[in-house]
Amino acid sequence: MKLTGFRVFVLVSCVLAAFVVAGMASSITELEDIVGNEIIGRIAPNISAAAGMQLASEYADSKTQAELETLVTSGETAGIRTAARMALSIVYSQKTVIELTALSTGDIDPAIREAAAAPLQNFLIEMSADDLKTMAVSGATHEIRLSAADLYYLKIRGDLTAEKLEKEAVSNDSDELAYMAGEYLGGFYLSFAPKTQDELVELAKNGESEGMRVAGATALTSLLIESDLTAGDLEKAIAAMGTDYPELLQAYTDALSRRYSS
Amino acid sequence: MKKLVAIAAVLMLVMVGSAIAVLAQGYATQPADAKIVPLGEEGTAYENQEPGVQGGTFYCAAISDPKKWNYVTSHETSTTQYCFLMLKGLVDSNPINSAIEPELAKSWDVSEDGLVLTFHLREGINWSDGTPFTADDVVFSFNDLYYNEDVETDTRDILILPDDTYPVVEKVDDYTVTVTLSMTFRPILNSIGAPILPKHALAQYVHKLNPDVPVGTFNSAWGLDTDPAELVGMGPFMVESYAPDQHVTLVRNPYYYHYDANGTQLPYFDKYVILTVASQDVSLLKFRNGELDALGIRATDVPILKREEAVKDLTVLVDADVAVYGTSWIGINQDIGLADGTYENLRTLYRTRDFRAAMSHLVDKQAMIDTLYNGLAVPQWSPVSYLSPFYAGRDYYGGPVTETDAVVFEYSLDKAAALLDGIGIIDRDGDGWRDYEDGTRVEMELNTNAGNTVREGVSLIVSDRASKIGLKLNFVPVDFNTLVNKLFASTGEMIVLGLTGGNEPNNGANVYSSGGGLHFWHYSAVDEPTELEKKIDELLDAGVSTLDNDEAFEVYKEYQITLAKDDLGLVYTVNPAFTYAFFNKVGNANISSPIATPSGTNGLTMDLCFFK
Repeated sequence: MKLTGFRVFVLVSCVLAAFVVAGMASSITELEDIVGNEIIGRIAPNISAAAGMQLASEYADSKTQAELETLVTSGETAGIRTAARMALSIVYSQKTVIELTALSTGDIDPAIREAAAAPLQNFLIEMSADDLKTMAVSGATHEIRLSAADLYYLKIRGDLTAEKLEKEAVSNDSDELAYMAGEYLGGFYLSFAPKTQDELVELAKNGESEGMRVAGATALTSLLIESDLTAGDLEKAIAAMGTDYPELLQAYTDALSRRYSS
Repeated sequence: MKKLVAIAAVLMLVMVGSAIAVLAQGYATQPADAKIVPLGEEGTAYENQEPGVQGGTFYCAAISDPKKWNYVTSHETSTTQYCFLMLKGLVDSNPINSAIEPELAKSWDVSEDGLVLTFHLREGINWSDGTPFTADDVVFSFNDLYYNEDVETDTRDILILPDDTYPVVEKVDDYTVTVTLSMTFRPILNSIGAPILPKHALAQYVHKLNPDVPVGTFNSAWGLDTDPAELVGMGPFMVESYAPDQHVTLVRNPYYYHYDANGTQLPYFDKYVILTVASQDVSLLKFRNGELDALGIRATDVPILKREEAVKDLTVLVDADVAVYGTSWIGINQDIGLADGTYENLRTLYRTRDFRAAMSHLVDKQAMIDTLYNGLAVPQWSPVSYLSPFYAGRDYYGGPVTETDAVVFEYSLDKAAALLDGIGIIDRDGDGWRDYEDGTRVEMELNTNAGNTVREGVSLIVSDRASKIGLKLNFVPVDFNTLVNKLFASTGEMIVLGLTGGNEPNNGANVYSSGGGLHFWHYSAVDEPTELEKKIDELLDAGVSTLDNDEAFEVYKEYQITLAKDDLGLVYTVNPAFTYAFFNKVGNANISSPIATPSGTNGLTMDLCFFK
């Protein structure tokens, strides 16, 4: 039997009501209760993940590298796995470029590669834009290609326009470059080429490529955070949303995570 | 016996430890003459700020190491940004409304004729090593440092009066000094705010006071090799440690004399760390990662940070209507090769006004604004900051900016080419590049500081446009301090750089007067000024000789137009709007000020910021 959106919504609302007072700041204990709740983790993994994002520092301070590596791959909920992955990035920041390269290109769990790829950026930033683009196309793993694509666009930011990014978010030399073009485009939609919330929602749902949907979702996240929506409102929206629009779902997840921290 | 020795040693250590602890504690109670900063008090400049709490380490980044710790002999902001954290003057500008306000002096009186100012110093305040601050420090700073011909300092240029005298600084008693002028000097309060230095720590390096040391010893005092423990100041922070290419770490001065209205001693931060990074790309990445607490950003960074602003709880401050203080320009060295008789062709070319006018027509300001600043910049043409009430883009002192009288060298390849043709710089061998009359190719080097991607972009645009009319301009980025050395050794050919600025035009006297210590595009003018340079000197003199701001405005208007239209010592580029970013956990970060510095963080009033 599959849970319908409405039934998910009802179930999650009941479970969360025990933990969070909507709109209020969440304590570490409350967040740990959410990520530790297997029901939420199973029926609303994005809510679990949103809480997990806010526990990264706590996990980094309280758990060993070995414990985190175990939790990243076999944590019982999305929240635990998310918190562990982000905490691992913090712990990995003490590693050398050789260690980080080995981790982010290794034949290991993608979440561990992702955790290593973030601090690796501190070294990759020294590369030229051309070399970063090459890495974003032909790097050994998705994670390192995505990291390189991020820095490639950071390096060439002086040449970026909304129009250029709109083209590159649709068609690019690699999926990772297109994805990152979308993320950077989201910044333009919040500044030099503003779009309305309705336009962003539509883009996040039905943009013509993943990159364009990411652009809409990235900008939408900020508008959701700046809106009057409470944590409870966002939780309800996530619970009712289903998984048909993953980029839109991610926007609400990121906004909820921020709400948990404020 | 051995045991007794050991106990004695322990006791000695305890006693020494106690002594150090007492010193580190600073004032036992708030000094009666402490400066109270009324954070959050209605009706004051600080009403939009709030009192904070002490604690924490603030991080930011710079792409250049300091060159020294010696303010008096410094020229570059990579040094002065630290000096201004360690030192204070008799008066200072309010960080919010720019009004001149008491600093080391708690008040001052002015004689009826305006020629004698009596400063009443704060009593009971100490240098960072615990030594009491007195009038002797003030007299020492002016008479033995700034006015001392053995000391290399640009500060003399802004203190000198039109009759070639200096304000006479005399001690009346331990806490009173007088400053006597031989004639009216409008910006005296601005100039007399130069940092005061500790006599007890520095007199030993001054030959005039200590004949045992050679002449000029002071010029190398407080270099980077100085033990930070020997640096003494009155400012909010002192240097704790410095590691080249890594960081400068400052700690709270336990004897800083500023307090908030709650009686909390400022600054709020325990430490202030400036990381040295390879480029602005690295700064941006570190800020995104939360490794830095604030960042002076460029317009091109705005979209990147805007998408993270809400998620990461930071503020991206963009004020399109406020251009930063300071100027950005291309310096064309008219003395290139003068010292050793080389570069004769190039020197002659650079000394030709129409060449410099041609270069002005090659500055594609709109392309710079569009591509490097996302539209968040304005064309620049004047040596005076856009925000100054004396800016000649205004119709009257303090009026709105209309740009009615702006000197515009519009971007025009045709006009640039015609000017070069007119002075005989043409392609003589058909290879597509312009040549001197003797047939050798005109080939020039354009430098800026590596890692500053905006200046690199400006340089690339200019060299690209030059190439379109057959002018060979090779862009070579170099390390910032190397660039500064090139400026002072007069060995750079053409340099893209910037200068800080403020409201007072006379603060540019060290740059624009023919004898100024920073007249780097034509140092030889000190002996042989051109007619235009003589006129500029006269205008600078006239601008300070009246107390009437409206009259001074008209003088400075002519000064700005003369420099921009006729002299063309510097070719101006564009002036960015004020952009800044900080994490919202930093309290009072909204008092950022549009003063450009290498790290950007001096845009924050560091002694008022705190962690919420």
